[in-house]
Order: sequence, then structure tokens, then C-alpha cells
Amino acid sequence: MKPAPFDYVRPASIDEACTILSEAGGGATVIAGGQTLVPLLNLRMSQPFVLVDIGAIPELRGVDRVVGGIRVGPMTRQADALEDQLLAQHLPAFVRALSHVGHHQTRNRGTIGGSVALGEPAAEMPATAVALGAEIEIASIRGTRRVPAEAFYLGPYMTVLEPDELVTGIIYPDWPQGHLVVFQELAQRPGDFALVGMVGALVIEGGLIQRVGLSWFGMGPTPMKMRRVEAELQGKAPDALDLKSLSRLAVSDAAPFDDHHASAEYRRTVGGRMFTRSIGDALALGEVA
Amino acid sequence: MSEQTLIPSAGSGAARWIGKRVERKEDARLLTGRGQYTDDVVLPGMLHVAFARSTIAHGRITRVETSVAAELPGVHAIYTARELAAQPITMMSFFFTPSEVPITPLAGELVQYVGDPVVMVIAETRAIAEDAVSLIEIDYEELSPVVTIADAMAAAPIHPGTETNVASEIGDEEPEEDLAQALQGAHCLLTQEVVHQRISQAPMENRAILATREGPEELTLYITCQSPHNIARWVSLALGLPQTAIRVIAKDVGGSFGLKNTPWKEECAVICAAMLFGRPLKWTEDRYEALTASNQCREAQMRLSAALDANGRLVASHAVYDCNNGAYPQGADNNIAVHMFLWAAYKMPAYAFLSRGWYTNTNGLAAYRGPWAMESLIRETLLDKAARRLGIDPVEIRRRNLVYLKDQPAVSCMGIPVDDITPGECLEKLVAHFDFAAFRKEQAQAREQSRYLGVGIAAYIEPTGSAGSMVTMTGELAQVRIEPTGRVTAMMSTHSQGHGTATTMAQCIADRLGVAYDDVTVFEGDSSRGGFGPGAAGSRQGVIGGGAAIRASEMLADKVRVLAAHLFNASPESVSIEDGIVHIAGAPEMSRPLGEIANIAYAEPDRLPPGFEAGLEAQFRYQPPPMTLTSAAHLCVVEVDTDTGFVKILRWISSEDCGTVINPGVVEGQISGGLAQAIGMVLLEEMPYDARGNPTAATFKDYLLPAISDVPVFEFIHANTPSKTIGGMRGVGEGGAIIGPPTLVNAIADALSPFGEIEKLVLPLTPARILDIVEQRDVSGFGASHSEMATAPVADAVQEPEAPPPMPENSQEQSAAEARSIDGDWNMVLKTPMGPQPMVVTFATDGAGGVSGMFSSAEGSQAFDGGRLDAGRVRFDLKVEKPMKITLKYDLLIEGDIVSGKCKMGMFGSAKVTGQRA
Repeated sequence: MKPAPFDYVRPASIDEACTILSEAGGGATVIAGGQTLVPLLNLRMSQPFVLVDIGAIPELRGVDRVVGGIRVGPMTRQADALEDQLLAQHLPAFVRALSHVGHHQTRNRGTIGGSVALGEPAAEMPATAVALGAEIEIASIRGTRRVPAEAFYLGPYMTVLEPDELVTGIIYPDWPQGHLVVFQELAQRPGDFALVGMVGALVIEGGLIQRVGLSWFGMGPTPMKMRRVEAELQGKAPDALDLKSLSRLAVSDAAPFDDHHASAEYRRTVGGRMFTRSIGDALALGEVA
Repeated sequence: MSEQTLIPSAGSGAARWIGKRVERKEDARLLTGRGQYTDDVVLPGMLHVAFARSTIAHGRITRVETSVAAELPGVHAIYTARELAAQPITMMSFFFTPSEVPITPLAGELVQYVGDPVVMVIAETRAIAEDAVSLIEIDYEELSPVVTIADAMAAAPIHPGTETNVASEIGDEEPEEDLAQALQGAHCLLTQEVVHQRISQAPMENRAILATREGPEELTLYITCQSPHNIARWVSLALGLPQTAIRVIAKDVGGSFGLKNTPWKEECAVICAAMLFGRPLKWTEDRYEALTASNQCREAQMRLSAALDANGRLVASHAVYDCNNGAYPQGADNNIAVHMFLWAAYKMPAYAFLSRGWYTNTNGLAAYRGPWAMESLIRETLLDKAARRLGIDPVEIRRRNLVYLKDQPAVSCMGIPVDDITPGECLEKLVAHFDFAAFRKEQAQAREQSRYLGVGIAAYIEPTGSAGSMVTMTGELAQVRIEPTGRVTAMMSTHSQGHGTATTMAQCIADRLGVAYDDVTVFEGDSSRGGFGPGAAGSRQGVIGGGAAIRASEMLADKVRVLAAHLFNASPESVSIEDGIVHIAGAPEMSRPLGEIANIAYAEPDRLPPGFEAGLEAQFRYQPPPMTLTSAAHLCVVEVDTDTGFVKILRWISSEDCGTVINPGVVEGQISGGLAQAIGMVLLEEMPYDARGNPTAATFKDYLLPAISDVPVFEFIHANTPSKTIGGMRGVGEGGAIIGPPTLVNAIADALSPFGEIEKLVLPLTPARILDIVEQRDVSGFGASHSEMATAPVADAVQEPEAPPPMPENSQEQSAAEARSIDGDWNMVLKTPMGPQPMVVTFATDGAGGVSGMFSSAEGSQAFDGGRLDAGRVRFDLKVEKPMKITLKYDLLIEGDIVSGKCKMGMFGSAKVTGQRA
């Protein structure tokens, strides 16, 4: 390691962490699992004055049942979340998406909060939070607030998080037992960020789609919630759907870009097919939690 | 799967080690983290280096401000090009020729690529050095960047004092009349175009050096490299120091691929700074530097035309090849080997080409595992296209054109003698191993379900084990001794880059000496022990090092026989060595451990035969034939998802003939590694530059190397036709990276054939580019942004040396100059593929149009006669012996005191000649 010089602090409480962040006046960076940050520090692409290690704050770790949902502590390691019984039982889409994050080695240190807070637009966990309707709990010395995941992301690696703020929890709302899981990802190699991906959940009751949450990843500057498709699906009977035209609608909810791995046109083309296939499969197979 | 043909042992033992899949001696150390790489070496008083690098691709440095950085605690020194010039260094190519354009370790006046080192900081730690770098200010006057080959063709030269951006050129601009006719008049004329992306070498171990001056003229370098001996030689020449003054150590190396053939800018800066500053200096490249500032490779484009008759037999061919040399290549290069080997394994009657390398404001070009691999890629993909066009099976079209053993000896259209190649035989073995009929049936059924399977084959030959053909390529040395304990140690001039030469060389020695493999230890990696050897370059160590180890061991076994025969009053022929025990035929009671005999050899001179040299040592420097050819045919099966453009490799079979296989595991490891890189080049890897010349894949997030999940389990068929070398080995280090790309591309093209041809092969075949073919529209966006990417027509090429020199203003002077005799000395430069060769040519005319004369260069002098002078045009032939027997046909135009023209050099094509009266 040959980073630019920084002060290292390891607060023992959220309050202490928030005080440090506040006093640093924008010069602090929070380190959770370090799987993205440490290479960036080494290459000096990131040069904070203070590195705030939140690894010693017990409240930030673990998965808990809360009223109406599940609260995931941001310091929860990805490997631990993958094994977690609560998540497996209640949020299968989350677990499915998580299994595509990085590799065994990086998941041993990488955290849920790190992935959610980084805001990589082609990553799985931000899109999962958006699709499932999660709320991000944020603390600072100014107080605590909750932001819907959909409103949390502003652009690539840009979120509403202020420099003095810390993500203290991600709260995923309950999805009823038996809901359908949607997850598809195309990445050039396993563990890579997606060229195109989609994640979400569907609830069918009484032969009608009663609830739906879907989001793209790798299809725009942030996770792209499929708002119009969600509205269109709401209350419909699965066998009455025109998946082709829905897929066009879904793609029009995205804002894909050109990069050197794929063109926007590729993402639109393949995204449409992915939508048709994954929604079709989910409905046909009744793939359940 | 492997069919072993063991060659008879010339040695003594019953236990055979050559051909065995023994565990590698290196593995326990390397796999438990106990390897010693350059960065692991720590010396007392060592300081660290970091570089301030150019952030623009092309510009003039107007100001360098280092005073703030110099104040930083822990900073010991800051050097710019000006300070570093106190230790002069002549940077040379891979061929040991000084660079055509001046190269200094640090940029002086001009920066020529993003990442060009401008200032170096020496500090207590690397982190402090980088802190200081961030405090250095460099101002530039920005010049317009020349990034692509098309840019280079159109733009003014980037290097001052040059006339064009042509770094190197060879061949004929126009195909001659009869070739043009053969092409146009043929039954079928096919053209294949390939645009090969730029590749990052990406070794696991990045570049690193630790240089320490240990006396006024004593330098020790720890440097990750391809041969400590070659580096010592290069550095001694570059610094003008005796080679004995320089010790180079590189115990373990994590891959080189061609990148580490010579030290380059950063390493040279560290060497010079260590000479000046006097304390040990270390620089270890980080991954960002490695991806953006290490020499890169491959970027080239080629258009190949080939004519076939109605039976699918090759008639004639022509090609235009252009490669991007970057600003400071490790030798200006037009990649002549592409043309030498393009048709060498095929019955191709006529071929001509133009080959050019271009300077651009990008990172310099270095060799990379099969640097000429474009030839196999473009030929084999063209042949499959031809097969589809003519309705011939891809196997069949190769059967009709490949040079089989029964067709040999033969001489290729480029003059390469071909007398022991087996690409056709490898293909037959491969075909016997794969049920084509069943596959075609499965393919047809799959297509009905909209699943697209494809099979691809390719065949090739490859030059390996090069020695004596160029100054840097020599033989290899084995020094083997039986220690007084009976254990065997060997010092080899070979060098492992991870190939496991400590294993394979030990196998050769154990086999021929009759000792246990475990009892043999091989040392390499230090220029102060062992003799000179070029090391790991050009698939040569198994061939030449193996041959040296075998012969030295046989010589040593003979010595043991003589001694044992004397001690036991037996005949040398009755002595054998088996598993470290010396036996006398018919007298089992006389069997003795080798150690007992060795102890006598060292410690009891009275018991030695008269004239017997004490000790048990032997050495042999093996100078093999100049080139040993390896052949192979590969096959792979893919499934292409036509919804997403993703390619899945289902099966891959390698049928290679690398002669005697020393260790199947090592051979298969070499092939697998090359194939992994091939898969990367075809599907994943690309180092893109933006229009401003910024390399845009700065981390492994964007530069996609093949992972284990992208590489299938390969199947191997070994043909084992011994070569003419000692031991019968053929090189195998590069082959996978050469034959892999066409094999995979052909399989993809076969899968996609219902949709159309890959008209222009643009690598990598990303999912988006696959969809371009499937959907026959521009999904990838490549067409829109690169419509001009085709090879520029030859006629549009920048004019250069062929153009007449400036005319004197006064025409009377002109005619007077013409009338002047050409007699006397001329300073000329011949632009050969290995670099420019200066020489003095002395002409003597006889007044009747006859010309004779003398060529003099550093290598010696040679006379010629029988030349003709006609209206200022001088033509003559020069027969040379080095680097090989060849007739050079000179055709020069003399105008006043200026001479220009070309020299036809047989298989090397045509080279430009320029010069003036001495």
C-alpha cells in the first residue's frame, strides 16, 4: 500500500463516527470492507484526509427483523449475508443478486453497505435496494433521516449522502411469502459488473399481479427503476400480458450508455430480450421465494 | 489422451525422466508464497522511486517545477532528463541496435505518450515519493496527438528529424504485374481484413527493478526479466561498462511474454539514477502504471488477398500489413515474421506484401507471445471463408493446400526451407479424434431450436529455438556437476518465467545421467553464475537448454564410466548408472553409490586414471540449427447465444507436435497459458485509447483478462516427431497464443454462418460485435465510429524515401552532378527488419557500365562485382552468409551526392536504402 497520507480513526459508536465526519468537513472517507476503496487509495484515485473505519461499531453489523421489514446493517459482510437465514427466507431476490457480487474472496470482506453506498450503476446491490423498495437510513450529528433507495442515487458513484453523513442501515420492506423473484444479469465474466441486468420481485394474488418492484442495473447512470412497467403490471393477470410491448416500455425506462464493453444500442437490444425472458420465466415457472 | 513416443536413452539409467509428468520443483515454493520476486528483495539503505508522468499524449515541456516537492521530508533527490543525462545511456532494441529515434529514460523536450516519465523522485518510501510527485508541476505546450494508424498515415511526423511516421517498412508497394494478374485472373479471389486491438501484456508480476551501485563500475540489478544474462549484456552495452561490472539477479519471475526482453524507460531511469545517486533504488510498477505505461502489443491491421482455383488450391496472395509501434517501441518494427510464416506451411506459389510500422503518440510496442500471430489469424480465417465460398469442407481445403511430410523437403514462397513440419499430420490426428459427421448433425438439430453451435479448426507452424540467426539469439549453456555427495547440481543459462525450467532441465539431466530426479537441482536466474544465454524468448529454452542439458549430462556420464572402469578394473562400456548407483555389468558386488565414486573424483587424486581431470563436471554450449519448426492443429467447439452475443467454449482439442515432450504437464501448461491469452484476445481484452491519446482501461475493472471461468479444460494430443536437435524437442511456449485466435474465431464464424460472414474481423469479438453479425446491423456502434478504419490504400500512403531527393536549383549543376562518377565511398543505411544497418559502400566503375565494389560494416567487409550502372541507376547482387545464406539484390538511384533505393533480401522482402556520398 502506498496511499497518500491520511489519518485513520476507528470510532466505537455511530455518534463518534458522525462527529468525526462532521469535524472533517468533507475530507473524510468511510471505509467498510475496503474492496473498492483500498485499490483506489493505493492508486491514489482516492485521497481522503481522514479514513473512518466503521468496523468497530456493533450497531452497524447484522441482519434484523424490524416492523414491516428487514434491516441490514451496512457493515454486514456479503459472505455473512449470503448465509443469513432471515434473508434467505424473506428476501430471496436480495440473496440471488448478492451471489453475483464480486467473488468469494471479495465477499469475505466486502459489505452490503459498502456496495449500496458506493452507487456503482452496474452493480447488483443498489438496483436490488431500488427494486425492492428499500430505504436507506442515514445519520449525522444533524440527525437521522431515511431516504428511499430510488431517491438515494443521483449518478454514477453519486448519492444524496452528505459528506458528514453515514449510512446506518438499509431497511427492506417485507415481501409476502411466495412472491416471485426476478433476476438476470449479463456480465462478461462471473463477478464482473453487469453489461445489462435486472432484479426485482412480483406478488401474484387472486390471479392478479398485486405488487411489483423492478429495476435495471448497467442501464443508466443509476439503478433505473422500471416505473412505467410497474404501473402497467399492477393489477394485471399474468397470462394477459404482452411481454414484447412491455419490454419496449421497460427499455424506455432505462438510459443506457456507451462504454468500451458495450454500446447503448447493445444494452437496449439485449435488455429488451432479458426483460421478456426473465418476466416470462418468473411468471411461467412461478419461481418463488 | 497423450501418445508418448519415448526416444531411446543415450544415458545409462533404467528410470526414464524425459517424458514424465513429474511434479514441478518450483511449485511447493511458488504455491506457498515463498517465491522471491524482485519486489521481495530488500537491501539496506534502499530508497524508492516514483515517476511524474505526462498527462498528455503529445507536447513540448515548457516548465518543470520541483522545488516544493524537493522540500518534502523524506525526499532525497529529484531528477529530470537534464540531471539524469549525467549518466549517459544508449537505449537499444531487442536486437541490440540503437533506437532509430533518440530515446532517453526521462522525457526531455517532448512528451510522446500519456504516461511518458518526465521526472523521477527518490524518497524514503514509495508513498513519500508519490506524495512528492503530486507536488511537481509540469507545463506543456500541447501538440496534436497522433493516436491511430490512420492518424499516423495522415499526420506530420511525431519524431523531430524524421520525414514521416513510418517507423519501419519493408516490401513492395505494388504487387508485380504477374502476381496482380494471378490474383485477378483466378477462379476465386478472397480478401480477409483483420483489425487487431491493442493488448496489455499484463503479467502477474509487473515490471520491477532494484539497482545498486556497489563500486565505481560495479552494478547489481535485481530485475524481473526474461534473461539475467541478456539484461547484463544489454545494460553493459547501454552504459558502456564491461559486462563483468554488472550482475543481474532474477530468481522468480511472474510472466514476461516479451515485455521484459530489455529494460525500458523506467528501468533505465532507475539504473542511471542508481549510478549517480549511489544508494540502492527500487521501483515496482503498480497496476495502473502497468496497464497504461508499460509497453503494449499487437495493435495492427492487415488485409490479405488470396486467389484459389476451382479445386480450392491456392494460386497467389498479396497482403498489406500495418502496425502501431507507439512512440518508443522496443525496436522499430514492421513485423516481417508475419510474412515469412504466413504461407510457410502451405503450398502457395506466389506471395508479395507491404509491411509497415507506424509511430504514434501511444505506448511503445513490445513483443508478446507469438508477436507475428496475425499471420495465422488472418490466413486460417481466410481459408474458412474460402471453404464456405467454394463449398469445400474446412478440413478438406487445408488437406489440399498444407505441406505434408510426403511433400517435403520444400521451400516456401518466401524462401524458407521446410523439411520436417507436420501441420497436416497434426490435423489428421485431430480429425481422427473428433467426429465431424456427428457434430454437423448435432449442429443442424440445434439450429432448429435456435441454438447456434460452431466448430473451428486451424493449422500452423511456428519458428522456435532460434539461435545464430541474429545477434541476441545464441545457444544455451549447461554446466552440470556431480557434487562430492553424489547430488547433482546444474547451472543453466535458461530462465524460468514460471515455465518450470528447473523441472524440465532436471528431467533431462536425471534421464541422461541415470540419477533420481529429486537428486538434481538446477540453478538459474543470476548472470554471475552460468554462461550467457538469451533466455526466455522465442520458444527456445526447452529446445536449446534441453539439448545442452542432455549433452552435458551424457558427457558427465561418460566421465563417471571412465572413472568407475578404472577403479573397478572394468571396461567403460560395462559401466552403467541407474538411479544414482554405479553398476559394473556382471559384477553386482561392485555396485557403488554415485556419491562414493564422486568423493574419490574430488578427494583422492591418486586413485584417478592418468590424465583424468579431478571432480565430476561437464559443460556444453548447444548451438542448434538456426530454427526448429513446431506444428499444430487445433479445434474448438462453441455455442453462440444469438440473443446476447455471448460465446461459450464447449470443447477445445490441441494436436501439437513439439517433438520430444520433456514433461507433458509443462508442455500442456504452456499451451494452456497461450490459449488463455488467445481467448482473452478474441473475446475480452482491449486497451483502448481515446481521441486525445488517453489509454482508457486503467484498472482490471476495465481491462478484462480471461478468468478461470472463461477458459475450458483443454484436451491434448502430442505427436512427438523428434526434431533434428539434441533430444529432439521443438519449442512450445508461444504456440497457443498464435493458433488459439483463429481456432476460436473460426468456430464463432461457423456458428454464425447462417446469419452471414464476419466481413471484417474486429477484435475483440465483444457480445455487441457478435450481434452486429447476427442482426446484420450496427449494434456495437463500431461501424459508426470507425468507418475509416480500413487499411489506407497503398497509393495514399505517405510518400517517403522513394520520393526523389530535393533537386538542385540549377539544372546545369544537376546534369553535372549526374555526370559525376559514382566512384568512391558512400555512407548508406539499410533498413532491415532488425533495425537500421549503417555501412560504407565503395563503388568502382569500369567506364563501360560495369560496377564492382566493397561493403564495409561493423560485421566485416565483403566485395561484389558484376554490377551495372545505367543512367544513375546501380544494380548489383551481394551474396552474404550472415545471418543466413542469402543473395541481396540492390537497386539504387544515385542523384548527385544522394543515394536511395531498395534491397531485395529473399524471404525478408525488400528494404529501403538511403545514404549520401562520404
